[in-house]
Amino acid sequence: MNVKEKQDLQCYSTLGNYLWRDPPQESKWADCVHCGMCLESCPTYEQTGEEQHSPRGRVYLIKAVAEGKLDVDEHFASPVFSCLDCRACTTACPVDIDVGGLIEEARGQIRQAIPLKGWKGAVNKFFLHGVFPHHNRLRSLGGLLRFYQKSGMQKVVRKTKLINIMPQHLTEMESIMPEVKGSIRKKFTSEIKAKSETKHKVAMLTGCVMDVFFSDINESTINVLTRNGNDVSIPKNQTCCGALHVHAGDREMGRKLAKQNIEAFENEEKVIVNAAGCGCMMKEYSELFRDEPEWKERAEQFEEKVVDVSKYLHDTGYEKPKAKMNMRITYHDACHLAHGQGVRKEPREILLDIPGVEMVQMPNADRCCGSAGIYNITNPEMADAVLKSKMENVPDDVEMISMGNPGCMMQMALGVQKYGRNQKIVHTVQLLDWAYQKEEGDLNDVSY
Amino acid sequence: MMSVIRIDTTDKHIINLASIVSGARSILYKKVDLLAYDCDGFTIHKHLPKAVVFPKNTAEVSQIVKYCSENKLPFLARGAGTGLSGGAIPINGEVIISMVRMKKLISVDLENRQAVVEPGFVNLKLTNSISDKGYYYAPDPSSQYCCTIGGNVAENAGGAHCLKYGVTTNHILGLEVVLPNGEIIEIGKNGVLDEPGYDLLGLLTGSEGTLGIVTKITVRILKNPEGKQTVLAYFDRVEDGSQAVSDIISAGIVPAALEMMDKTAIEAVEAAAFPVGHPKDIEAVLLIEVDGIAAGIDEQINQIVKVCKKRNVREVRAAKDEEERGRWWANRKTGFGAMGAISPDYLVQDGVIPRSKLPEVLRKIAQISGESGLRIANIFHAGDGNLHPLVLFDARKPGEIEKALEAGSQCLKACADVGGTITGEHGVGIEKREEMRFVFKEEEILAQTNIREVFNPDNLLNAGKLFPTPGRCVEIKKEMKA
Repeated sequence: MNVKEKQDLQCYSTLGNYLWRDPPQESKWADCVHCGMCLESCPTYEQTGEEQHSPRGRVYLIKAVAEGKLDVDEHFASPVFSCLDCRACTTACPVDIDVGGLIEEARGQIRQAIPLKGWKGAVNKFFLHGVFPHHNRLRSLGGLLRFYQKSGMQKVVRKTKLINIMPQHLTEMESIMPEVKGSIRKKFTSEIKAKSETKHKVAMLTGCVMDVFFSDINESTINVLTRNGNDVSIPKNQTCCGALHVHAGDREMGRKLAKQNIEAFENEEKVIVNAAGCGCMMKEYSELFRDEPEWKERAEQFEEKVVDVSKYLHDTGYEKPKAKMNMRITYHDACHLAHGQGVRKEPREILLDIPGVEMVQMPNADRCCGSAGIYNITNPEMADAVLKSKMENVPDDVEMISMGNPGCMMQMALGVQKYGRNQKIVHTVQLLDWAYQKEEGDLNDVSY
Repeated sequence: MMSVIRIDTTDKHIINLASIVSGARSILYKKVDLLAYDCDGFTIHKHLPKAVVFPKNTAEVSQIVKYCSENKLPFLARGAGTGLSGGAIPINGEVIISMVRMKKLISVDLENRQAVVEPGFVNLKLTNSISDKGYYYAPDPSSQYCCTIGGNVAENAGGAHCLKYGVTTNHILGLEVVLPNGEIIEIGKNGVLDEPGYDLLGLLTGSEGTLGIVTKITVRILKNPEGKQTVLAYFDRVEDGSQAVSDIISAGIVPAALEMMDKTAIEAVEAAAFPVGHPKDIEAVLLIEVDGIAAGIDEQINQIVKVCKKRNVREVRAAKDEEERGRWWANRKTGFGAMGAISPDYLVQDGVIPRSKLPEVLRKIAQISGESGLRIANIFHAGDGNLHPLVLFDARKPGEIEKALEAGSQCLKACADVGGTITGEHGVGIEKREEMRFVFKEEEILAQTNIREVFNPDNLLNAGKLFPTPGRCVEIKKEMKA
């Protein structure tokens, strides 16, 4: 360790066996009295029955490292990385313990103590550093995928069983990979005007994955916003929100991306987000800057501006569509909307305002589906067990499952395919957009 | 993480136990895994277990128990680990037999109003699985969201609605039990009430896991009451609130629940995750619920309101809908956990007193609080005189744990002194072993440990719980303080 590094270390307080900058905060666990009210809310505890894989257990172990009773090693990493970061425990907790925040901070320590090696490290680095933060590269990758899908390669690969070479869970993921569509950021280079009189001006986060795989949802978002009197701008310098990085313990990269977004949206009044995971992350940027007061303040101001599209429409008012859609649907609460941002009733009310939509309640609608960012890629067995429980709760007689997060959409699509169901997976704003389109007669044989 | 774990230890007991329990990850023995099991809802006393095993059926439980018994390994059963008296803490380095993977609802017999569950089945899930048919399971400890029915049987758990419907023991119709030698017995066959002979169901229920390990439970289920109404009443003086409690019962009303919280408790629940907007300056809030035939409900509510007014209530009102009722109960039922919002640690006591002594005992508790310098919040099932003084402390401050233990003990003494007892529903566990002496003479304790010896002669099953060890009590005190 050179002198500079040593000085850096001294700048930041360490805690027990947490030796790096930005350790889990004592104030976050101080309120936990070990009551256990969180246990049943936790999908991994439900699956394993093991208390180290429960919120209470994880908080206890995170605290034990700070008290010097445990080391930051692979054994400690297991329960910390088995967490889905679904935040259901915080909802269940009598004192709102921020378990998700503690987990992310602990992961930051683990990744510095034991950096990922081998192919896992390489893949992690390639995607988290090399692709997601770079819109063009992600687009190129998307382009490759589109080529793969359109060129007939996909058929060939599937037919020749080349696909069998991939690990099972990746094969399953491949089969539900959404079709890559045209980027919104390419399509709209300047502000998109409200369809009638301008009432508000908003900016939109296009997202990294969202803009490549789900650009039709981005387009629907623009449609419903402009339809309801919003001028929509898409600031150019925006980047990936950093949620995947922070979940993986790469807080340094998370900070870098956060700073870029804070700057990119500096002059905007509202930042509309249609991906629950991104919205939740961006509403917690200040957590990343506990030791950078100036950025912390900017992050706090930024957080105020971030709002999920369903909540924004609900709060500012939207026109009720007139065309009748005639469909039975159910709604799945994305964890980072319901538990992360407290947005539950808004999307449901929007859906119920569409004439002809009949809503069937899904039991345990706010239970995680197992997507959890890239958890379904890193912990496939657990993700699948969680997905299975989720699918058991999807009512039989519905045509669509609506939700507000791209990660959930892919995971639920996988669930539908894997468990022989036939529901379509849609984003809440898509349904609203289609209803508007139908009203205007633009919707021929609905593209869903 | 679901995959089968390789056993990389040379400990022959771990290897042998691992061969008994089938399936993935059915034994834990590494420190980081065991640490999460070193205490339960009672956090003052901690000890690492030797291992945690997860049996899937009665036969596996029996084999594990037989192995432990033959090899003189201490062992105990654990459910969700939400107990408040330390009953599941492995103070002797026990092998923990975790019952949480035996969590099936085996059968529901609506006609005969009973259900059969495995011990790891979560309390509230039973009501949730039968509520659409109009039935429910009555015992409702505040931890019912996550505690297991097996654990409820061990502790004879109570809850807010036990005033009218009785505690767990009143709802148990049959048990399958693995005895400490591994033998499997069934008591209360077919859920027939009042079998001839000794009431073994009554003996087993509330035995705190010292007589056997329950592996199957037949419980009584009840039809949902036709009507239900909940009332909230705020009092400026604790005495008035207490007096109102006595008056309601004296008036011949049997509420389904009659709960009380004092000022400090209100401060905590209002600072926590489920606030309902209780005024900060009141001394006591009563939460009263009546249920039964719809026709009589309004009349009972009127009577309750009248009684409260007579006792100078500041405000009294009924829940306007199910949503509001739900919020009031969530606020009350998360009350213990809510202490985290106003104190780093707490210790909850569980005394029972004659209702008429409530004001007197509350005054005494306030005095204990003053003398110890520790705040004491009171949440209690006022209707049945079951007090829960919550002693607030900070374990990081030297000497505070001892002070808190002492204050808790004095609260129990105050209960015993007015003709009450030291536990209503949380059990004795480790926490109140010594306080058993407030209510039992040495011979009476001996008579009970003699019964234990019939079932558990080597005392390998959950040793050191429930009773003070004769002659060793001084050492235990020391150990507690260490």
